[in-house]
Amino acid sequence: MKKPLFGAFREPEDKVHHLGPMQKIETPMRRFDPDEEVDFCIVGVGSGGGVLLQRLARAGFKVVGIEAGPFWDTERDWVSDEAGSHQLYWNDLRITGGSDPITLGANNSGKGVGGGSVHWAGFTPRFHPSDFRVYSEDGVGIDWPISYEALKPYYELLELEIPVAGPAYYPWGDPHGYPFGPHPPAGVPDVLSRGCSKLGIPVSSGGPVAILEGSRNDRPHCIYRGFCLQGCKVGAKQSTLVSHVPDAIHHGAEIRANCMVARINMKNGRTTGVTYFDPDKRERELRAKVVVVCGYAIETPRLLLNSACPGFEHGLANSSGTLGRYLMVQIGNVVLGRFEDPIRMYKGPPAHSLTEEFYETNPKNDFARGFAIQTVAPLPIAFAKQMLMAKGAWGWGLRRVMMDYNHWAPLGVLGEILPWEDNRVELAEEKDQYGLPVAKITFGLHDNDRKIAKAGVQKTTEILDAAGAQEVVEEARYAHLVGGARMGNDPRTSVTNSFGLTHDIPNLFICDGSLLPTQGSANPGLTIQALAARNADYMISNAADIFAGRSPSVEQPPVRKQLSPPGIKGKGTPRIR
Amino acid sequence: MKAKPPMRVVQTWPLPAKWLQRLLPASLAQEERTIILHIREGRFQRSLAVITACASLLSGLEVAYEHYIGSYSQKIMYTPVILCCGHILSSIGAIFNRWIARVLLPIMSLLLALDGVVGFFLHIRGVQRKPGGCRLPIFNIVMGPPLFAPLLIATSGFLGLITSFLRSENALPPELFEHVKGVRRRFPLWMDLMPKAPVRELLSTEQDIREGRFQGLMGGATALSAFFSGAEALYSHYKNNFTYKIEWTPILLSPLVMIAGIGAIWSRTIARTLLPITSMLAAINGMLGLYYHLRGISRRPGGFKKFLYNLLYGPPIFAPLLFASTGFLGLLASLLRRTRP
Amino acid sequence: MKHSTDRLPVDPHTGQPIPPRAQPGYYPGFHTLDQQAFWDEATRKVVLDRVEHVPPIRFFTPEEAELAKAIFDRLLPQDDRDEEHTIPIVNFVDERLYHKRIDGYRYESMPPDDEAYRLGLRAIDEIAQHLFQQPFVQLGPHEQDQVLLTLHSAEPPAAHEIWQKMQVHYFWLLILQDAVGVYYAHPYAWDEIGFGGPAYPRGYMRLTGGAPEPWEVEEQRYEWQGPPTSLSDIYKQPGGPGGHGQQPPGQGGTH
Repeated sequence: MKKPLFGAFREPEDKVHHLGPMQKIETPMRRFDPDEEVDFCIVGVGSGGGVLLQRLARAGFKVVGIEAGPFWDTERDWVSDEAGSHQLYWNDLRITGGSDPITLGANNSGKGVGGGSVHWAGFTPRFHPSDFRVYSEDGVGIDWPISYEALKPYYELLELEIPVAGPAYYPWGDPHGYPFGPHPPAGVPDVLSRGCSKLGIPVSSGGPVAILEGSRNDRPHCIYRGFCLQGCKVGAKQSTLVSHVPDAIHHGAEIRANCMVARINMKNGRTTGVTYFDPDKRERELRAKVVVVCGYAIETPRLLLNSACPGFEHGLANSSGTLGRYLMVQIGNVVLGRFEDPIRMYKGPPAHSLTEEFYETNPKNDFARGFAIQTVAPLPIAFAKQMLMAKGAWGWGLRRVMMDYNHWAPLGVLGEILPWEDNRVELAEEKDQYGLPVAKITFGLHDNDRKIAKAGVQKTTEILDAAGAQEVVEEARYAHLVGGARMGNDPRTSVTNSFGLTHDIPNLFICDGSLLPTQGSANPGLTIQALAARNADYMISNAADIFAGRSPSVEQPPVRKQLSPPGIKGKGTPRIR
Repeated sequence: MKAKPPMRVVQTWPLPAKWLQRLLPASLAQEERTIILHIREGRFQRSLAVITACASLLSGLEVAYEHYIGSYSQKIMYTPVILCCGHILSSIGAIFNRWIARVLLPIMSLLLALDGVVGFFLHIRGVQRKPGGCRLPIFNIVMGPPLFAPLLIATSGFLGLITSFLRSENALPPELFEHVKGVRRRFPLWMDLMPKAPVRELLSTEQDIREGRFQGLMGGATALSAFFSGAEALYSHYKNNFTYKIEWTPILLSPLVMIAGIGAIWSRTIARTLLPITSMLAAINGMLGLYYHLRGISRRPGGFKKFLYNLLYGPPIFAPLLFASTGFLGLLASLLRRTRP
Repeated sequence: MKHSTDRLPVDPHTGQPIPPRAQPGYYPGFHTLDQQAFWDEATRKVVLDRVEHVPPIRFFTPEEAELAKAIFDRLLPQDDRDEEHTIPIVNFVDERLYHKRIDGYRYESMPPDDEAYRLGLRAIDEIAQHLFQQPFVQLGPHEQDQVLLTLHSAEPPAAHEIWQKMQVHYFWLLILQDAVGVYYAHPYAWDEIGFGGPAYPRGYMRLTGGAPEPWEVEEQRYEWQGPPTSLSDIYKQPGGPGGHGQQPPGQGGTH
């Protein structure tokens, strides 16, 4: 067939906001008056911000989400093209330095409603119970102020809301099952399965990923097009844009897109709202009873530092001096193997299978904690960039290895880097297009981190060799980004309490990946969304106290199951808990 | 009333049986003769109940895991699994209990058949809801919900209906039944409310089935079943790019079975020659397919060590058995008698 | 330039140069652009615009543009492509620098990209002068590769005051990542490597075994060697700190 039936595909002709081929936002979005004081102002409608927006709106509060990027119409704004998807990332300037500087932008930072959940690969494993107690158990890092058990009901809830597809029995950490079935295999997952089964390493195939296996409501089944990292136009891969934001809008939340928050306004030790630049670059103010910062690991500390004012000279909520510190990325080295038979890695979701067999601390190792091994599937440009370092390719050598694109299968190591105080976010002297100081990131690896990287690469090389690779090369890199405003029980060593409420300011919350004190070897996306749901329950239970200026309780709030987006009950399989 | 002499049953054996008879030892041939006699008299309800139970088991297992691949994302996807379970239980119960066979089984079978038809339309809707919808017909049919699989479930339901109309093996033989022919049957009330002509047709068909005279009907059913499983094989093997040449065989065989089955509606000769031959080939092909599919599962990365995953995503285990069951249906059809003119 | 046969790759069996063609690579007959009716309109617009509208040079001066073109011709040589199917790398890099489009960060030890390019182009010319007493654009391909190899190994013999302002291993990765970012964004390159191209609303059905879709083609490999004048058809680890101290800028996420 040269054309689809009835001719080439065209853009939708209606004037409705599309979030996929079937899903639309048809209720007009509520707009608050410019002078109105709202209950909650959410800075950044990303993974955490999106879930929070939905929960608070559904609970009946007046919520406004301010997002620096656009409110995407997936049919019109997103393209099924690697180079054309530059707009999804935070491309504004940041300075990166240190002995082993991290990369930013497309590597880990999103922009636009949905934030990082638009361009994530979609792996959604839970953290292990041991991740919450690394200091007590392994003598490294720090303990979380909560246990796994406190977060577990929210993991289960989000796994249903997203929904997460995966095997019926996931053996690592706290073993559990998934409500949606696993995904069919593709080129790279087959390589991981082959290699691991030869070595006797168990593999979780087909998940856990935030990708629909079976259509649900207005979101279709995955079509295995492999463009996950460029935004899922199908709507099968979850982003809070398609799973939570529509319900938030339906319940009266407002999203102010293309608006950059410049400053959090303070008065008498409490926040009164934010000052932001609207799409025409005019300064405006939003007054709110509570401000929740969900800007992610770089922008959240940056905003709090930029909001320094009398009484908060070192930035807001920074009496501990830990704001911007204990920044973490994960070891994300990619090990690539070349195979005799074609693989065609571009088909199927890059996030498909993983093994967490080496996640926990093994006393036989000379390092603490461990790593996971996951499938990855870079598109041509990303693969070419990997080959620049992995093979030192350039010129005709680069042309040659790229012509071989369909014969390579990469696997990604995901290694736990511990929280180190000197890995930090600060303000640089340069200013961005709004005149705000940009963030400066300093990062360096420590001994334990390097050992994990080495062990991870070695094990992955073994797996690729066992799968029959003719040649194995490696590219050193990082994945993900968390920390910078960590939670804790002690105000001297943390920025917020276990519910994201800053120790210093009674009506300022943080609710994104910067809260994480440690990160395990698991992709942080699910944990960020689960924490947002937990923090939302706390905010809802204690809203009256917080608004009135009274001290809120520190008790665990009840888990609210009725605040989930509609249309998830009864869909999916019963699962092992 | 003068007792009529017992009627001698004219023994006209279908073609294969004669030469088979000569090959088998005498006792076995006797056994076979009895079976075929029962079939031709419509007195094989229990055997067909067993076959129905097997067919339902196959389709039930197939739908259970296929819907798991679809994650039971719609609540209605549980219905074929539940109804198949009920159907299996009713079929097995029909072997032992006459009430189950005459009342419960037809109800369960009708429900199952209805569920299959509804499923067919829901699967069409599922294909429409994929990105590109009907404008990518080949792609979305291959990758969407399997279109004809629900109709195979409906075929199990159909078999169950037929079973309920038959007579049991230990029912009275025809010569004795002749005596009680005059007894007035009690009809359900709803039949009086319906127009006379279709009701008469229905009763006549039912009587034919009870007497084993439904070769044409069964031939048609075989043709439909062959079409459904053949179409399934076509798009599944096309998705696999016909990697192994033998994947073409079920696709070449099923039109033959279809022609034979449709021909059997009108022609007795076709029903007794072409139909049994093609059905036998289909049955053997199905068994062969089972072997190849099992081999395919073992060849997937992880092999039988990743049993559940490779069962889900290796070649579908029950599909070739469903193709084989088409063959068995055809063989059964070739043994039956035809409706009275 | 196109007619100089010593820049063409050679057939290892006969030793003869392989003439330029419309589509090098192992997938003859595979054209992603033929499938454009199956792409969604937003994607089609973006990709066709890239193919049909080559941006003019606005950032580089004419001399810089000529030098940059010569450099990109060695970083990603296209002598095996005919004129109509050569991908204009320098124009798209110029456009990025003109619009100051960055990847969301800058290494502390590097100047902004536009300044880095101006400095780096000067540095390359200085190295060419130092090694061969001629400007880079007048060197033959072999000498040009030698100049660039000094950057690859992070041991430049000249322009040391420029390398004080930016690190040579980062600059090398910067120009290479820009080159691949343009080349492999182009449908002609997708055809060359057998990449399926855009895929929405139609996805893929044959996921395992590297099997081609009905509209894709099977691979047909042929052997070839880099031209005798080139030094880039061998693989050597690049110089520089390596490991996590040296990642290509503009890297996307993977996991």
